[in-house]
Amino acid sequence: MKNRRSVPLPSKLSPKKEKEVPLQGIWSGTISFSLVAIPVQLVKAVEPGRVSFRMLHNKDYSPLLRRMVCPEEGKIIPPEEIIRGYEIGPEKYILITDEELESLSPERSRTIEIVEFIATEDLDALYYDHPYYLVPLKGGEKAYRLLVEVMRRTNKAGLAKFVLGEREYLVAVKSRSGALSLITLHYSEEILPSEDIIPKTEESEAVEKSRLKKIIKAMTANFNPDKYADERRQKIVKLLEKKAKEKAPVEAPEVEEEEGEGAVDLVAVLEESMRKVKRGR
Amino acid sequence: MGKIAAVAGHRLSLSNLEKDLYPAYGFTKAHILEYYRRISPFILPHLQGRALTLKRYPEGVEREFFFEKRCPSHRPDWVATAEIAQTKGERLTFCLVNDLDTLIWVENLASLELHVPLARAASPATPDSLVFDLDPGEPAGILECARVSLILRDLLSQLRLASYVKTSGMKGIHVYVPLNRKATTFADTKKFSKAVAEVMQRNYPDLVTAKIAKEQRRKKVFINWSQNDAAKTMVCVYSLRAREKPFVSFTRTWEELEALAGRGDPEKFHVLPEEALRRAEKSGDLFRDLLVKKQQLPYL
Repeated sequence: MKNRRSVPLPSKLSPKKEKEVPLQGIWSGTISFSLVAIPVQLVKAVEPGRVSFRMLHNKDYSPLLRRMVCPEEGKIIPPEEIIRGYEIGPEKYILITDEELESLSPERSRTIEIVEFIATEDLDALYYDHPYYLVPLKGGEKAYRLLVEVMRRTNKAGLAKFVLGEREYLVAVKSRSGALSLITLHYSEEILPSEDIIPKTEESEAVEKSRLKKIIKAMTANFNPDKYADERRQKIVKLLEKKAKEKAPVEAPEVEEEEGEGAVDLVAVLEESMRKVKRGR
Repeated sequence: MGKIAAVAGHRLSLSNLEKDLYPAYGFTKAHILEYYRRISPFILPHLQGRALTLKRYPEGVEREFFFEKRCPSHRPDWVATAEIAQTKGERLTFCLVNDLDTLIWVENLASLELHVPLARAASPATPDSLVFDLDPGEPAGILECARVSLILRDLLSQLRLASYVKTSGMKGIHVYVPLNRKATTFADTKKFSKAVAEVMQRNYPDLVTAKIAKEQRRKKVFINWSQNDAAKTMVCVYSLRAREKPFVSFTRTWEELEALAGRGDPEKFHVLPEEALRRAEKSGDLFRDLLVKKQQLPYL
């Protein structure tokens, strides 16, 4: 089977247009508060548009693999010899086992329990970590729509704690264009202090204030993110499309199948996907 | 003892109907025939055109059983068959369970479990699906299998492959990836599933093993990729299993499986015939996509 180059360049470069199997939900359960319980599924809300490159060997164009290397022995270390340590000082580590970490992991939760509602404008964007959508599951559509509608009208966001993968997150549930979005939030201890940033000077004069107000007013517009695009990305995509037309791609050598090893390409892709799965869990 | 039954079109002589084949639970041959009759709209599409391996328990689940690959020579002339070359070169005639009559005839032979290959008899080198057969090594059990299957689902989802899950009815879980493409061979599915199993083992060394060696499997879930082979069979979805209770190899939605994994009670995974019928008749065949959904294994 030789289909690893079968993805045509342009479609690979425009993820927005790709119509493929939708990703299966990351989590499913119920969102609840008081007497309300709505079955929902959590799905990704963003797909970073970064163009990523593979690192190749400049001699034969083989895609390179990441390997864990011991600097002392200069050898590749197999996974069964790899353990975790927390660095407490130069060359000083506290060892911690997978079992110890696992024993601290919270129980997977089946519910996103909203504990309080806050005004959406009080929700400081500095706390935003990662956005998701909540999709209603069978039987939950009506209650879902109602919650979306009422949260929109009252301008409120729900705060909840819930466990995704190994971590417990503080999340905000918001109404967004007829759907619910869920944003994982940073804990306040992760936010760095801003006191030192505020300059210590005397009050500005009223004239200066009103001049600045006028300028801002003149420049005020509705938020329309479609107006902006990642120009560097667009340039990279254009360049790649041009190069793809002008010149045939370089070919990496067929990887010889070793006993007990899948093709390197497939394994590398699986490892990369595995990393993403672990991050999402 | 014998009873003549006209099933759909043919007259069949059914025997030993009152014999209790699951004595610890109390489930007679009549119960078994009734179960398979009612589940037939759901199980037949999955048996259709596939070489059946019979696993017969003439004296019940607590006594001797035997595998029978060759379709019994005393078969009625209306039983469809297919000749398939075996690895050693000889050709064997298999039964094809294409209709209700054949299903009832096979069950009258006390073939409690129905095992079929991943490919149809007409195209024995082309698997319709890829399977990860998750087999727990004591003291690991079905809960660990559920954990592994959920990670597998997420991993496959990253590769834009939809997957489907059923309980084995014993202690394991089977995760299927529908393919339904003529171009995909067992060499492809084996290579792919093996690579996945090895990556899983590397990333979850305490939970997963991809090694066939029995001594490596203790406490871990063995991802048996080697089932992706023309010579191997899997227990058919909706088939009964021969253990103390007549558990069914039954489909679950991923949401259900997550919920079950969250509840942490291994017993809750199992489905008895009555529940299987109720659920199938209510929700339909959750494994239908396995027969129709076309997917390509990437990066082979």
